[in-house]
Amino acid sequence: MKKNSELQIIFKHLMRDPLGMIGFFIVMIIFLSAIFADWLVPYDPIQLNIKDRLQGPSWSHLLGADQLGRDTFSRMIMGGRVALQVALPTIFGAVSIGLILGMIAGFGPRWLDNIIILFFDTLRSFPTVMFALAVVALVGPSLSTVVFIIIATSIPTYGRVVRTQTLSIKSSEFILAEKSMGASTVRILRVHVLPNILGPIAVLVAMDIPTIIGLEAGLSFLGMGVRPPTPSWGVLLNDGYSLIRNTPWLIIAGGIPLILTTLGFTFLGESLRDVIDPKLRGKKR
Amino acid sequence: MSVLSVKDLSISYQTDSGPLQALRGVSFDIDDNNIVGIVGESGCGKSTLIGSIIKLLDNNAIVEKGEIFFQDKNIISLSDDDMKDILGVDISVIFQDPMQAHNPVLTIGQQMIDIQYRDKKSKKQKQNHAIEMLQLVGMPDPESRIYQYPHEFSGGMRQRIAIAMALMVKPALLIADEPTTALDATLEVQIIQKLKELQKNIHCSILFVSHHLGVIAELCDEVIVMYAGEIVESGSVRDIFHRPKHPYTQALFACDPGRILEKSKELPTIEGEIPNLINLPKGCIFKDRCSQRIDRCDDEIPSTHQIKNTHMAKCHLLAREQK
Repeated sequence: MKKNSELQIIFKHLMRDPLGMIGFFIVMIIFLSAIFADWLVPYDPIQLNIKDRLQGPSWSHLLGADQLGRDTFSRMIMGGRVALQVALPTIFGAVSIGLILGMIAGFGPRWLDNIIILFFDTLRSFPTVMFALAVVALVGPSLSTVVFIIIATSIPTYGRVVRTQTLSIKSSEFILAEKSMGASTVRILRVHVLPNILGPIAVLVAMDIPTIIGLEAGLSFLGMGVRPPTPSWGVLLNDGYSLIRNTPWLIIAGGIPLILTTLGFTFLGESLRDVIDPKLRGKKR
Repeated sequence: MSVLSVKDLSISYQTDSGPLQALRGVSFDIDDNNIVGIVGESGCGKSTLIGSIIKLLDNNAIVEKGEIFFQDKNIISLSDDDMKDILGVDISVIFQDPMQAHNPVLTIGQQMIDIQYRDKKSKKQKQNHAIEMLQLVGMPDPESRIYQYPHEFSGGMRQRIAIAMALMVKPALLIADEPTTALDATLEVQIIQKLKELQKNIHCSILFVSHHLGVIAELCDEVIVMYAGEIVESGSVRDIFHRPKHPYTQALFACDPGRILEKSKELPTIEGEIPNLINLPKGCIFKDRCSQRIDRCDDEIPSTHQIKNTHMAKCHLLAREQK
């Protein structure tokens, strides 16, 4: 009998779904290019080279150069790294806080639930961009500010999903059975509630990463995210926007990766949703 | 020696319209190696009774009086933490619906290994123990089936798994809450036989709740008949099934489809409904539905009459007989 680990099984089923496979490969390319960015870039992405300014694509500058003569291709690759530098800690922070708070709200006493829900609603009621403007005005724009802002605004999303899932699992008979075997609350949450929530959360994460990257790009576009000269897709778009009459390549270099990332993670997320649930696994939609 | 001894237990639920007296003065004993069955219609307090034994009552439940002794410990006064050392060690429970009894995202093997978390054994040993238990409950090919998920098993198999998990810890008392209600008749017989066989192997006592009289007769040594939160009759299977004394027990038998031999247009039922437990009627709890009602029933609560050494019933008619 096969004794594959859960991850191997999920991977095997993911590869059977064409969308899942495409999504997985796009995501892998994004990750690999971010990790190995230092070796991939032909130029230093912040190196000025005035004589090449606003060049079109050529063998020496694959996607041309911007108004300061910086190599656009290098900036695009480095922008991917910045995007993931924002997305990963943000997801990690938001998911862990959301998981803990959501499980406490779902499993704990009613009054605690009410307090946590109130906390979620308070966070939720700030429009993200307004909140970002306020925070940036207070502490100034930087990468960690962006991470903080996005964590704060996405905690409620995760927290609410976790809470609802916990509530529905809490009343199921296998939890009662587990309690009747004398299991402690922590044990029930860890062994039984958590694995049941992880599926939906993984899907949510895959769908949320492009949103976060888009948010980072958006904040950077508005000049509230990463500061020049650090390359970011949003900064690229911003530069491209003002130089649209001179060269289209900056917009392309900032926009295409954003689109690809969104598609890749969305495909992966949709496919994961079917693959993670043992009941749906292997069934064709 | 008795494993479980319930003494004069009364439990009520706080509701908006006043306390609902779910259990009133319930007393019984379960002896070592004995199988005790509880019968009664829905709402008679069976679930409350089980909940009080495993200390998992709803938040609005209040133990008004009474004691529950498990071995030597009074469960009522035990802290939740101390109770956790009894549950899953000396007491284990099988629930009604096998389709909901397992975690859907973990394999059967993972769950059965996990449930042994108290033992200091290697994972391999725990897995072997799981396979052994599955074999014992009649699961074919357990070595490969422990890698399957709950939804890949049929209802009967899932109940077997639930039984295997409950008996894994070799409890002194197994509580079975209508374990065969969700299964069809053939499976019911198989599960009952398996339970009986396992009980002999493990030497545990079983508290078996059911509303299926045939199953009770097949499996149990003693029977407790409950009505609206009270024990109305209790005794050995032979006494209860051959010489039922309480009108409610007699009516229950009359309604058992297994005993109806002639084709009839309408199935016999017990007319009326369980009385409102918030505003208890005066006198006997069963008087409104009783076919043998006498004047005394109206305002005098019947006391428990001993018919034979273990056979008891709570009815005024017996007082007249005994005179």
